[in-house]
Formats: sequence, structure tokens, C-alpha cells
Amino acid sequence: MSERKKFSRKKFLKWGLAGLGVVGGLTFFSGIFADRKRIIPGEIMGGNAEIGHLLREAIRADVVEELEYDIVVVGGGVAGLSAAWELKRRGVRNLILLDLDDKVGGNAVSGESNGSRYPWGAHYLPLPNLDNRDLLNLLEEFGCLTGYQNGLPEYEELYLCHAPQERLLIHGLWQEGLVPKVGAGEVEQAEIARFFDFVQGLKGRLGSDGKPLFTIPLDGSSSDARWRLLDQMTFSDWLSKEGYASRYLLWYLNYCCRDDYGGTLETTSAWAGLHYFASRNGLAANAAPNSVLTWPEGNGWLVNRFYMALKDFIRTRSLVFSISEQSDQVLVRTLDTQTKEVAEIKAKKVIFAGPQFLRKYLMAKSGRKNGLDLSCFSYVPWVVANVHLSKRPAGIGRPLSWDNVAYGSDSLGYIVADHQLLGQRSETVITWYKALTEGKPADERKAAQSRTYSEWQETVVKDLEWMHPGIRSDIKRLDVWIWGHGMIRPEPGFITGEDRRLAAEPVGRVHFAHTDLSGISIFEEAFSQGLRAAREVLEEGIV
Amino acid sequence: MKYLLLISVFVIATCGLVYELVAGTLASSLLGDSVTQFSIIIGVYLFSMGIGSFISKYIRKHLIPTFIRIELLIGLVGGFSSSILFVLFEYIEAFQSLLYGLVTLTGLLVGLEIPILMRILKDQFDFRDLVSNIFTFDYIGALLASLLFPLLLMPRLGLIRTSLLFGILNVLVAIAAVYVFDAEIRRKTMLRFSAVVSLTLLIIGMVFAGNILSYSEKISYQNSIVYAKSSPYQRIVLTRKGERFRLFLNGNLQFDSQDEYRYHEALVHPGLAAQDSPRKVLVLGGGDGLAVREILRYPSIEQIDLVDLDPLVTDLFTNRASLSLLNQKALTAPKVSVFNADAFTWLRENKTQYDFVVVDFPDPVNFSVGKLYTLRFYRELKTHIAPGGGMVVQSTSPYVAPKSFWCVDQTLRETGFRTVPYHCYVPSFGEWGFILAHDQTWIPPDKYPENLRFISPETVRQLVHFPPDMIARGLECNRLNNQVLVQYFEEEWSKYE
Repeated sequence: MSERKKFSRKKFLKWGLAGLGVVGGLTFFSGIFADRKRIIPGEIMGGNAEIGHLLREAIRADVVEELEYDIVVVGGGVAGLSAAWELKRRGVRNLILLDLDDKVGGNAVSGESNGSRYPWGAHYLPLPNLDNRDLLNLLEEFGCLTGYQNGLPEYEELYLCHAPQERLLIHGLWQEGLVPKVGAGEVEQAEIARFFDFVQGLKGRLGSDGKPLFTIPLDGSSSDARWRLLDQMTFSDWLSKEGYASRYLLWYLNYCCRDDYGGTLETTSAWAGLHYFASRNGLAANAAPNSVLTWPEGNGWLVNRFYMALKDFIRTRSLVFSISEQSDQVLVRTLDTQTKEVAEIKAKKVIFAGPQFLRKYLMAKSGRKNGLDLSCFSYVPWVVANVHLSKRPAGIGRPLSWDNVAYGSDSLGYIVADHQLLGQRSETVITWYKALTEGKPADERKAAQSRTYSEWQETVVKDLEWMHPGIRSDIKRLDVWIWGHGMIRPEPGFITGEDRRLAAEPVGRVHFAHTDLSGISIFEEAFSQGLRAAREVLEEGIV
Repeated sequence: MKYLLLISVFVIATCGLVYELVAGTLASSLLGDSVTQFSIIIGVYLFSMGIGSFISKYIRKHLIPTFIRIELLIGLVGGFSSSILFVLFEYIEAFQSLLYGLVTLTGLLVGLEIPILMRILKDQFDFRDLVSNIFTFDYIGALLASLLFPLLLMPRLGLIRTSLLFGILNVLVAIAAVYVFDAEIRRKTMLRFSAVVSLTLLIIGMVFAGNILSYSEKISYQNSIVYAKSSPYQRIVLTRKGERFRLFLNGNLQFDSQDEYRYHEALVHPGLAAQDSPRKVLVLGGGDGLAVREILRYPSIEQIDLVDLDPLVTDLFTNRASLSLLNQKALTAPKVSVFNADAFTWLRENKTQYDFVVVDFPDPVNFSVGKLYTLRFYRELKTHIAPGGGMVVQSTSPYVAPKSFWCVDQTLRETGFRTVPYHCYVPSFGEWGFILAHDQTWIPPDKYPENLRFISPETVRQLVHFPPDMIARGLECNRLNNQVLVQYFEEEWSKYE
């Protein structure tokens, strides 16, 4: 009896366990299966992979169209648009701007689908310094600056970044602002305060030549040798020399380097690192000093304003493959990427507003200049993803903000594209950023371009899941943009180096404008480079 | 003895069905949708009985004491089930889990008792007789229960006493069994003791049943939820106590029908009555139609546009008879057009100018509502006010949140309005504040629509006076890019609550 009882109990237990196992297993596998089955649609955008092929085709093709312009602007990024805008403003009408893509904008290009607009690159503009008259005037013309009160510009409230602006996920909690506060001890806090006091003290300070130590545009900064020396060392070396060791502070500064310069503390010049904090001194009558201007489509908003003003002078899908100087003119050859037809444009002047690394491919003779070495121009690849969500991400602590960053992540976090829109909505698009700073730019570029869409999708989703567990099931679509030569990086020695100065000098009838000539890739520099080139041309006269 | 046992089968069967009926009634009265509730309860209960019967074969020894223990357990679980469910309904979120848990447990125990009893009796009866007798009494008991429950028990005793009474009957069966099987049980004392304790507990329950009932009714009646739904924007909950309705959005009280007249008269009339035959009025927020009801008192009104984000709210106050009675069918009045849109976006897309605007948004509890209290919003709104027109803004409690209240005032003044802040006492809200905003100076009206219960020229004279505990100064203007109001509001209300 007792044997039988034991046996049957055992049997009961066995069957029970087996039953539980089956149920559990089914649940488990169905979970995996469901996850596997849910394919998030999307694609890799941008990056004209067939350009090499097109170039070969272009060189063989016959010229079918001959055109003549006073001025040709090559490249429709912010520098090129700014140059064309200035030329038009100053009365030039016999003008054409050529851009390879379907839409102008370069790094500030934006996308739109299902009524949502979102950036594919640059997405904000800090309040300009009060002495940056050109930029203030531009903003006024664009209706972004509405007037002045007691000498301070008043901005359209809709375009000032709305509250809440920034939050950081640290130790499981979303805190306000990006400078880590949660869990920072007294020593760390004191060090963070010391750094910010120091850079605050640099703002507006003048060098031995009477110019500000750090300003925007960067070339207006003092050439005081004592400070220029900082360009010879890395930001990391400078920080350790000055006794900064706080983990939080170093993380934050490294984040800033990655975000603005596509570099790390170890690859960014100390001068550039300080420039980031000490050069911005913008004020407004109706916003805090450190405010930024932003739009759902990011700087695409500014690009669209340029486009509206210039659309009669713009020719897109136009691949310039040769710029050659003759005695009294410049010949620009361009391939229509759709019809595959080649046009030859005779110009009195050319403003080349593309990146310098293209010089060697496009300019047979003018590309070379005595002593100019373009190898020190280092371009960092970037990845940007626009993620369409059915539900707004939340989290513990501060509510969803414009800029959302996770402490310790190697991405740059995400911004909420519809943050500036009025009205409540449940769906949203978030724009995720990552600068590929780990290895050498060329290696990272190659690796980034060889990865498949699914691999990139997984990278983005994993990073987002770290911030928002379970977000995968809210993703309706995820598109990725690989910026191979995303932006110029101010490595030590580059900003004060001779090559940067030489590269900006005109070669015959060809002038140059691009942020790589400044060494930092920001809207203000692109705008200023464009204006400079346009003014050079106008000064020389169109002959 | 045989008959005693058969009687107990009969009692057990009656009890079993009564518990099932109690659970079904309770579920449908608390959760609504009686067909679903009854059907699920019956299914779960019968299924649990099946499991009980299945398990019974693993009970091999000590059948009699086990039977007695099961009877005691059923008595306690079944007896107290309705008390437990009534009391906990208001407190626990997973109420349905508790309900089905209790039903399953009762069903399981009831399922155990008959098979065990049959095995106990198998030597006393011929098997043919045994099966026939047991099932006969079982079904007669079921009939009795199903007749007694609606005709006698529910009306006379109510749910709590009914289940307690049948709990007592179950325990009595156990006690009877202790005596009948006296010779066959070894450790009697323990069983007897348990039986006495169970009986005492149930009797105490019976005595205090009135108190349990009034306690549970007090808590449940106060908050009896008549509507609860989540829209994409908010959680909407409507409660009712007798004729008294309360509307909650995201847990915040929006009005209490008992005193909302004070709020809505104070919101609308001081500003609107000051207008010389107003024709067009815009209401922002206020999807309950109560402000519209007040506006419709002015015969000169030709057009009222109401913009409320949430169609669920406006539909509720348009289509529910009890609620459209409250707003006197304001939302279906021919002069009224309802737009479900975000107010900020709507204003930017429409160019109509109004003689008076009533701004009745929820308090600035988060950044998205906070946008509707900014300088940029009021600037937009200002372009929609006809020359000589005005507006009023509900501006939270100046007593609880003086900084928030005066921040709204500051923002309105920076927009270029002349403001007149005032406040009134609404019992369900406490001290509540409003701000009038005009291009010109507001002159207090000396005449109001007839039949107002609260607002009169004398009342308004008092409302504009602010004692020192409702004043705050030196506040920032609320802008899209700082949203200081949301911060003030959070700081002040969190302290208060």
C-alpha cells in the first residue's frame, strides 16, 4: 500500500511537472517566436553607393548640354546655400547651385512621412552670439528672430526648444539635464562646478591681440600663442594636467566631444574641447542664455528657408565630376544622375562648397596646391536612425524630453522629433544618433558601410531597449542613414595647422567653403564659410 | 445514521449552489455585465468541482476526519466569501483574481466532499442505492437553493448574511459528522475544537453582518464607478452617488454635480455679463458642456464653438442621458459646434474672432497641458478676441498654489492683457481661482442672467478681494521654453497633498 502510494504520488508529481513544462515551454517559445516573427520594416538611406559607378560612366559620356553662368556653387549643404544666399542678396542673378542629392541640405537634410517631420542630421542651433550680426540678420529674415528688446534679440517662442529639454538616464533614473547628478559625491560635484566655473570665466575673455579667446565663427578667435598651444594637446591630456578626474565629469565631456566633434577626449584637441564650452555667449530677451533653437525637421527648417529663397537657382541630382580651370573661365562638368546626361558649365567663378577630400577627384590641377596636405582632414562616420514609435517612451523620473541620453551608452541617445509641435499625440518619431568614434575613421567607415540593414537595426534597437525595456514592440519603422564622411574632426594640431589655412585659400577662380575649413562641423561655421567665400568672389569682381 | 448522512448530502448540495449564486450575484453587481459574470462564475465553479473530484482519489486514508475538515473549510471560505469580496472590492486592483480565486477554492472543496462522502457510505449502502440516493438529494438541494436564493434569501438576508448562514450549515454538518462517527475518529478533540471555533466565527460574522455591510457599502457607494475608460489622452472616470456625479480625468476631480454650479457660474458670468450683447463665444476645454450651459443663458449668443481634445469626453456628455441632463443638452444645442482638437493647433488654423473666450483647461499637471498656459498660447488667443472682447482663464487654486495662480496672471499681463483675478469657494474643490483678461478695463456687471444660484453683483464684489494667504509675487512668465508653471504647480500641489 505504502509502495503504491509513493509510486502514484510520484507519478502525479511527474505528470504535473511534465504538464507545467509543456505549458512553460510553449509560452517561452511562443515568446521567442513572436519576437522573431515581428519584423520591423525599414531601410538604409542616404550614402550614394553607386557614385563610383556613375563617375566611371560620366567620364566616358559626351557632353550634351552647354551652359554658362557667372558663378557656380558646387554643393548644396549649409555652406553652399549660405554662399548662394549671400550672392543673391548682393544682386547676383546669373548663378547656379549644383547638388548631388534629390534635396539640398547636406548634413542638415530632413525627412517626412505620414505627417511627421524629422532630421537626418544636424538638428539644432544654439542662440547666436550677439556679435554674430550676419547670423542674427539671417534669423530675422527667416522669421525666427522677431525683434529686439533692450538690445537683446527676442526669438519666436515656437522655435526655442520647449521644456523639458534634456534628461539623462543614470542608475535607472531619468534626471534633469545631461551633466550627471544622480549619485555624484561632494568631491565630484565640486570638480564639476570647478570645470564649469573655469569655462564660464573664459567666455568673452580677450587674448593678447584683443580678440576673444574662443568665439564663433572660430576664425574670429584670438591667436594668443599661450592659448593656441592648447591645440597641440588632447583634451584628455589637458584635463588630467588640470587635475580633473571625476568619472562623471569625464563621461560628460567625452559625450560632448562625441556629440559635437565626433571624437573622444583622446582624439579631440584641448583647444576645440574648451571652444565648445567657452565660445557660446548667446543671449535672448525671452530665453535662458544656454537655450537652443530647434524644429521638428531639425536644421532642415533653416535649409528649407534657404531653399525657398533660392529655388530658381538650384539644380539637384547633379553630380559634379570635374572642375577645370582655363585661362579666362572654369569648366564644370556635371552628370544628371537620372538622365545620365553630362552638362558642361562655363563659369567665371566657382565656389566649391563640398568637403576637401573630394578636391583630388574633381580638380585635376587646381586640386593641388603647393605644400597643401589634405591627409590631416579627418572625417568621422555617423549613424542616424529615425525610429517611428506607436507609443511615446516614458521611464522613471523626468518625463520624455527633447534630448534623451543614457549614461554609459556609446550612442548619443535620441531626440524627440515632434517635441516642438503643439498638441498631444501618442505616436512619435525619435531620432537616434551615434558617432563612430571607436576606431580610425577610415576603418569605421568601411565597417559601417559593410554592415547590413538588420545589423544596424539590431544595434539601434538594443541601445533603445537599454533605455526603455520592451520598446521593440512599439517600433513601427526604423530607417538608418550612414554618413560615411559625417563631419570633420578637430584632432590636435588641425585647427591651428597650416593645411587648414592653405585649403581655404582660393585657387585661381575657384573658392572654397565648407565646415572642414573651420575644423568643427556646426551650422554657424558653415554659414560663415559660405558668406566668406561669397564675399571673396564679390570683392574680386565677377570677371 | 444513514438518514442523517443523506440529510447532510442535501444540506451540502444546497450550500454549494448558494455559494455559486452568491458569487455570481456579487460579481454582476460589482462588475456589471451580469450575463458574462454569471456565465464565467458558473463555468469556473463547475470546473473547480471537477478538479476537486479528481483530487479526491488521492485521498486514501482518514476519510472521515478529512471529510469533517473539508466541511469546516467550506463553511469558513464560503461563509466569509461575500464579506471578503465586498470589503476588498475598493481596495485591491486585481479584484477579479481574488473573486475567481475564492470561487475556485470553494468549488474545489465542494467537488471533494461528495466523492469522499460516497466512499464513506459505500459499506452502509448497496452501490446502486448509494449513487441514486446521493444524486437525488444533491439535485433536490440544488433546486431548493435556486428557489430560496432569489425568493427568500437575497431579499430577506442579503448577500453577506446568506453566505454566512450557509457557512454555519456546513459547519453544523461537520459537527453532526463528529458525533455520528464518534467511534471511528481518533483525534476528536482537535476536530471538535476547530468546529467550535469555526461556528463561533461565523456566528460573530452573522451578528456583525450589518456593520460589514454598511462599511462596505459606504466605501463602495461613495465611489461607485459608472464609467471608466482610457482615451489616448487621459483616463476618464465618472462616479455616481445617488444623483451626485463626479468626473475625474487622470484621477483629478473635474467637477462634482452637487456644487459645480458655483464653479461654472463663477467661471462664465463675471466676464460674459460684462459684454454688451455678446454674439460669439469660444470655449476651450470644458468638454463636459457645463460652461456652455451657462453661456446659453444669454439670448444674444449666436455661436458657441467648443474645442476639447478628447472626443470620448464630449461624446460622454452628449450621449449619456444622466449627463446631458446635467448640462441641459448644451452640447447638442443648435448654436453649439463641438471640435475635437488640440486648442493650440486649432487656434492656429482658425481665424474667427470671438466676443468672449472661456479657457477651462485641466490644471497644468504636465508639460503638454502646460503649453496651453504659455505666453505664446495667449498671444495666439489674443488674435481671436474681437475688439472690446475678453476672456477668462481657470487658473487652479490660489490658496493651494498661489505661485501657479499668479504666474498665470503674470503671463497674461505680459501678453498685453489687463487682468482681474478673482476666486470663489467650491466645496468639492476648495478655494478656486479665475483670471479675467481684457484689452480694456473690466467694469463689474450690475446685472446677471436670472436664476443664478451663486453669482450676483454683491458676490462678485467679494470674489475680487484676495487675502494675504492667497498672494504670491515676483513670478516668472510661463513660456514654452521654460514651462515654469508646471514646476510651480508640481511643487505647490505635492506639498499640499
